[in-house]
Amino acid sequence: MGILLQLLFTGLGIGAIYALVALGFVLLIRAAGVVNFGQGEFAMLGAYLLVIFFNLLALPYWVAILLSIAIMAAFGVVFAGATYWPLRNRGGLPVIISTIGASIFLENMVLVLYGPAAEQVDGLFDAPGIQVGPVFMDSQYLSIMVIATLLVLLQYLIFEKTLLGKKLQATSQDKEMASLLGIPVAAMILITFAYSSAIGGIAGILIAPILFVSTGLASIIALKAFAANIIGGYGSIPGAILGGLALGVVETLGAAYISVPYKDAFAFLMLLAFLLIRPQGLFGEKISEKA
Amino acid sequence: MSTPPPGSFARPWRGIPGLLAAVAVALVLSRMAPDQGYILNIFMQAATYGIAVVGLVVVLGYCGQISIAQAAFFGLGAYGVALGTVDYDLNFFVALAIGVAIAGALGLLLGAASLKLGGHYLAMVTISFQQILTVVLTNWIGFSHGPDGVRNVPRPMLFGLSLDGGRDYLGLCLVTMVCVAVAVWRLRTTRLGRAMQAVRDNDLAASTCGIDVLHTKVAAFGLSAVVGALGGGLFAGGFRYISPDQFSFAESIVMLTMALLGGVSSPFGALIGTGLLVILPEWLRFLHQVYLAVYGAAVILIMVFLPDGLWGFVAERMRRRARPVLAEVANLPLLARTGEETAEIVLGVTGLAKHFGGLKALDGVDIAVRRGTVHALIGPNGSGKSTFINVVTGLYRPTAGRIDFAGRDITGLPPHLRNRAGLARTFQNIRVFRGMTVLENVMVGAERVGNDVAEDADGIVRRALAALDFVGMRADAHRMVGTLSYGHQRYVEIARALAGTPEMLLLDEPAAGLNMTEKQALGQLLRRLKGHGLTILVIDHDMNLVEQVADHITVLNFGRRIADGGPRDVLDHPDVIAAYLGEPRSEAA
Amino acid sequence: MTLTRRTALASAAAVSSFAIIGRARADDTVKIGVCSPLTGAAAEVGRIQLNSLKLSTEHVNAKGGIVGRKVELIIEDDATTNPGVVLAFSRLAANPDIAAFIGSIRSTQVNAMAPDVAKVGKPVMFGGTDPTLTHNGYKWLFRCRPNDSFSARVIADYGVKTLNKKKWAIVASTDAFGTGGQKALVDALSKAGITPVLVQGYSNQQADFTPVVLAVKQAEADIVASYFTFEPDLAVFARQLVQLGVRIPWVGSPSIVSPVSVGLAKAALNGTYGIADFTPDANDESRAFTAAYGKIYNNAIPDSGWTYDAMQILALAMNTAKSTEPAKVRDAILAIKGYKGTEGIYNYDQNGDGLRGYNVVKNEGGKIVYDKHIEFDA
Repeated sequence: MGILLQLLFTGLGIGAIYALVALGFVLLIRAAGVVNFGQGEFAMLGAYLLVIFFNLLALPYWVAILLSIAIMAAFGVVFAGATYWPLRNRGGLPVIISTIGASIFLENMVLVLYGPAAEQVDGLFDAPGIQVGPVFMDSQYLSIMVIATLLVLLQYLIFEKTLLGKKLQATSQDKEMASLLGIPVAAMILITFAYSSAIGGIAGILIAPILFVSTGLASIIALKAFAANIIGGYGSIPGAILGGLALGVVETLGAAYISVPYKDAFAFLMLLAFLLIRPQGLFGEKISEKA
Repeated sequence: MSTPPPGSFARPWRGIPGLLAAVAVALVLSRMAPDQGYILNIFMQAATYGIAVVGLVVVLGYCGQISIAQAAFFGLGAYGVALGTVDYDLNFFVALAIGVAIAGALGLLLGAASLKLGGHYLAMVTISFQQILTVVLTNWIGFSHGPDGVRNVPRPMLFGLSLDGGRDYLGLCLVTMVCVAVAVWRLRTTRLGRAMQAVRDNDLAASTCGIDVLHTKVAAFGLSAVVGALGGGLFAGGFRYISPDQFSFAESIVMLTMALLGGVSSPFGALIGTGLLVILPEWLRFLHQVYLAVYGAAVILIMVFLPDGLWGFVAERMRRRARPVLAEVANLPLLARTGEETAEIVLGVTGLAKHFGGLKALDGVDIAVRRGTVHALIGPNGSGKSTFINVVTGLYRPTAGRIDFAGRDITGLPPHLRNRAGLARTFQNIRVFRGMTVLENVMVGAERVGNDVAEDADGIVRRALAALDFVGMRADAHRMVGTLSYGHQRYVEIARALAGTPEMLLLDEPAAGLNMTEKQALGQLLRRLKGHGLTILVIDHDMNLVEQVADHITVLNFGRRIADGGPRDVLDHPDVIAAYLGEPRSEAA
Repeated sequence: MTLTRRTALASAAAVSSFAIIGRARADDTVKIGVCSPLTGAAAEVGRIQLNSLKLSTEHVNAKGGIVGRKVELIIEDDATTNPGVVLAFSRLAANPDIAAFIGSIRSTQVNAMAPDVAKVGKPVMFGGTDPTLTHNGYKWLFRCRPNDSFSARVIADYGVKTLNKKKWAIVASTDAFGTGGQKALVDALSKAGITPVLVQGYSNQQADFTPVVLAVKQAEADIVASYFTFEPDLAVFARQLVQLGVRIPWVGSPSIVSPVSVGLAKAALNGTYGIADFTPDANDESRAFTAAYGKIYNNAIPDSGWTYDAMQILALAMNTAKSTEPAKVRDAILAIKGYKGTEGIYNYDQNGDGLRGYNVVKNEGGKIVYDKHIEFDA
C-alpha cells in the first residue's frame, strides 16, 4: 500500500510536469490553431536562462527566475515571427513542420553555444521534501503541483474576468469576427505566443532541479505533454491538466508493475488507444468540418 | 472529327523508354562509384533513403496526410532483412518480402487511424507508432538484438549473380529507386492517384464524387509504408549493420525534411531533396556542431520561402503554358436523351430532422423530387437549405427521418456510396481540387463507380472533355483549376458532377458569387440540362434564376417546410412572402 | 623544449597544439584516424578524451614522434550514434595514409564499426568495455581499458569480500553497455554462490526512477550494484534512492565517480563506491598525466586516461616495430608486457585485451578517494 501511494505521488508529480507543458500547448492551439512542436524547447531555454542568471552570473534566485520568464515571454514573440507569422495563412501542416524545424534549431544552437554538459540548478526549496507516512513527497514535485494549479487559476481569471482575456477568447473563436469588432488579432496572437513561451519557461525552470539541465531536457516531455493534450481533449484546459496527470500515473504504475524498460511505450500506447476509441479525448468536442 | 485528343493519357507504354534509359543511367552510375568506402556509403544511403522518401510522396504529397513515421517503416524493412537473413537463414528477398509485408500491414492500420483524425492528430499517431517501435526494437533484446543491433547482414544473389560487391549492390539499390520513383510518378495519373489528390485537396468534395476517402487514405499509408520498408530492407544489406537508433524519430524528421526540401508533390523532388540532404552534411562539414542547427533553420526557411520545395520551384518556372484543347470532342451521352417529366419519385425525403445540440436546423422536412424535373429549394438565410443538402448527400447524419433515392433507402449510406448510387452535387463555397488541372478535376467525376463509361484512361478522358465541352470550358482543360475565375471554377464543379452521368444533380447555391452575365449563362445551362432530362435539385436565393428554371418549389423556414408546389403558387404564398420580407410569422399567419 | 614553453602559456595551449599538429606537412607525418563524439549525447566525455589524446600526441611528438616522424591526428565526428561512427570510420578508412585508428569508448559503436575494421585491416585502439568485442575473432581491435568481465568481477569481489554483502540488487541500462555489464555481474556473483535478489533494467534518459528504487527497496537488498550509461540518469536515481530511504552500500560502474555525476547528484552520492579504470591518484603515470592535463586545461581533472594510453601504446608499438605497417604493429602491440600506463599496467593477450583490473574508489563528500586496486590474472 505504501508503495502504491508512493508511486501515485510520483506519477502525479511527473503528470504535473506534463500538465504544465501541456498548458502552454493548449493556449496556442486555442488562440492561433497552432500545434507547436517547439514547446519543449521553450522549457529547455527557460532552464538554461536560469542556469546562466543564477549559476553563472550569481543573481539572486528570484531575480534570476523573473528575468528568465521575462526573456522567455519576449522570445515567444520572436518565435512567432519566425515560425508562425509567415505561414499563418497556409493551413496547419506548414506551421507544424516549421515548429519542428525550430525545435531542432534551438536544441542544437544551445548545444553549440553552451556545450553538452548537464547542469544542476537549485529548486525552490532547500529541503528535499517531506515524509508523510509511507510517502516521501519531493518538494520540487509539490512546487510543480502547486504552481500548475495556480497557473490554471490565473489562466481562468485572465480568460474569464479581464477584457484582455475576452479579446483573446474572441480571437481564438473567430478571427474574422474579432477583427471586425476592432480587436487587434495579430497582437492577441503574439500575446498568446509570449504567454505560452513564458509558461514553457516556467515549466523548464521547475523541472530543471529534477531532471537537470541539458539540451534534450524536454523534447520527450513535450511529446508526452502533447499526447496528454489529446488524451484530455484537444484544446481543452482541464483536459490538458487531467490528461497530463493520467499519463504520469499510468506511466509510473506501468513501469512499476509491468516493465521499466517499456515505460516510454505506455504513454504512446495510451494515446493510440484514446485516438482509436475516443478521439475527442476526455473533455473534447467531436471533430467535424462543416460542408 | 470526333477523335478526341486524349494526349498523353492514352498511351500505357509511355515512359517505358524513359524508364529503361533511367535504369541504364542508374546502372552506369553504380559502376562509377567506388567498390567500398565512404563515397559508396554515401551513394548507398542516398539510394535507399531515396526510396523511402519517394514513399512519403504518396502519403504526404499525393494524399496530403502527414506521416512522421517513415523511418519506422524503413526500420521494419531493415529488420526484416537483417533478422530474416542473420537469425533465420532466410533468402534475402524472402526476408525483404516479409519485412515489407509487415510494414505494409502496419501502414494499413495507421491509415485506418486516419479515418477521423487529420493534421496534428495524425502527426501524433504516427509519432507514437514511431516511438513505440523504437522502444520495442531497443528492449526486445531476445528478438531484435537490442541496442547492439544486427551485424553482418548479407547481400543477395540475383539470377545466379552475386551482388556482394559494393558496386553491384548499389546497382540493385539504384535500379529499385528508379523503378519506385517512376512507378510513383505514374501513380499520380492513375485513378487511385487522382483519388488521393482529390482527398488531399478536399476530402469532402472527394467523398461526394464517389471516392471512398478512408480506403484511399489507407491505400496511401499502405503504399507509403511498403515503399519505405523496401528502402529499409535494401539499406540493411547496404550497410550490413543496423541498430534501433538508425530508425528513430529524428530520422523520420530527416526523411520528412528531405521530401519537403525537394518538393513533396513529385518523386523527383523527393529524390533531389534526399540527395541534397545526404550530401549536405559533407558540404557543411566546416560547420561542425552548428550543422544540425543550420539544418533546423533550413526547415523553417524551406517552409517559408519554398512551400513547394525545390522541384516545385523549378517546375513552376518551367511549366509550359497550358495547351488549350481545341479539337472537337464527343458529346456527353446525357445529351442523347430528351427530357421527359415523369411521376416517378427519384428522391423521397420523409420527416428529415437534423439537430445541432439545441438548434433544430431541420425539423421534419418532407420533399419528393420527381424524375426529369428541376426542383428548387428556397428559403431565407438559416432556413436549413444547406443542411438539407448536406444530410441528403451524407455529409451529416440525420437526427431522424428517411431518405430514399432511386428506389433505395440511402439514409445510412456514406457519401461516396450515395454518389455511386447516382447522386452528384456542387457546393455553395466552391470545392474544386485545387492542386489539379481542370481536366483532372473532371476526370475524378468521370471515374464515378457506376458511370456508363469505358474504364480505360482513354474513355475517362473523353468523357471528362465532353463534360467540359458542355459547360464551355474545354479550351481550359489543361490549366490548373486554381488559376480560373470564381465563375469558371463553378462550371468545373458542375462539369465534374456531370461527367459522372448522375441520376440527379444537387446544386447548392450555384449562382452565389456570380455576376449578372454569369447568372444568365448559368440559367441557360440549367435549362439545357433539364431539356435532356436530368433531375436537378437546386438551392438558391436568386428568385430570378429559380423562376426561370424551376418546375417545382419547396420553401423552408426555420428548418420546416412552409410551402411546396408549382412556382407561381408557392411564390404567391403569403407565408413565403412573409418569410422573405422578414415579417414575424405569427402576423403573417 | 617546445613543451615547457607551451605549458607556460596554459590557456592558449589547446589552440597552439592544434597549430603544431596542423603545421606538419601532410606527407611526413604518421597519421592516426580518430572517431570521436564531437556532438551528441557523449560530446562532453568526448571533449575530455580528445583533449587527453591531443596531450598524448604532443608528448609523443616531443619525444621524437613515431619512427622519426611527427604524429598527426585526423578527427571525425561520430555524433555519438552507431550510424555516425560507421560513417566516420568509413570516411577515415578511405584515407590510405592513416596508419592506425583510435575508436570509441562506447561498446555499441565499436560493435557497429567492427566489420569495417576487419575489412580495413589496420589497428584500432578502443575503450569500449563489452568483453565480447575482443573475443569475436576481430584481430585488429585492441582495448585500452579493462573489459566488463573484470569490472563485474571487481564489483562482485569488493562487495562480497570487502563489504561482506550477500543480497544483491543490480540496476543496469538496457543498452549494450548495461546489459553486457549486468550479465557479467550475474556470472561473477554466481561464481561466489550468490543469486541477485533483483536484476532491473531501465531504458536511458528517464525522468523518474521511483519504480526502480521501490523495487530495490522491496527486494530487501543489502547492496546495490549499477551500470548507468548517462550521468543525469544516475544522478536522478541517486537522489531518489536517498529520498526514498534506501541506505545500503552502492558500488557502481565508472560513471558513478565521473565528475559530471558528482556535480549533478552532489550529496546523494556521498559514501558510494565506484570502480574506475582511471583514477588520478592511482599510480605515478596517472598522477603525471593528471598534472599535465590540469596545467593546460585550467586545473581540470581528466576522467579517463585511455586515449592518452592508446596513443602512447601505438607509438611504443610502432617504434618497437620500427614500422607503421599494420601487421608488424599488431605483433608489436600483442607483445607489450608490463607497460605502465595511466590506466594501469598493460599486458596484452592474444585477444587484444591489455588490462585486467580496476581501481575501487569511494566518494567521500564529493571527493573521489582511491581505495584499492583489484587485479586478476586472467
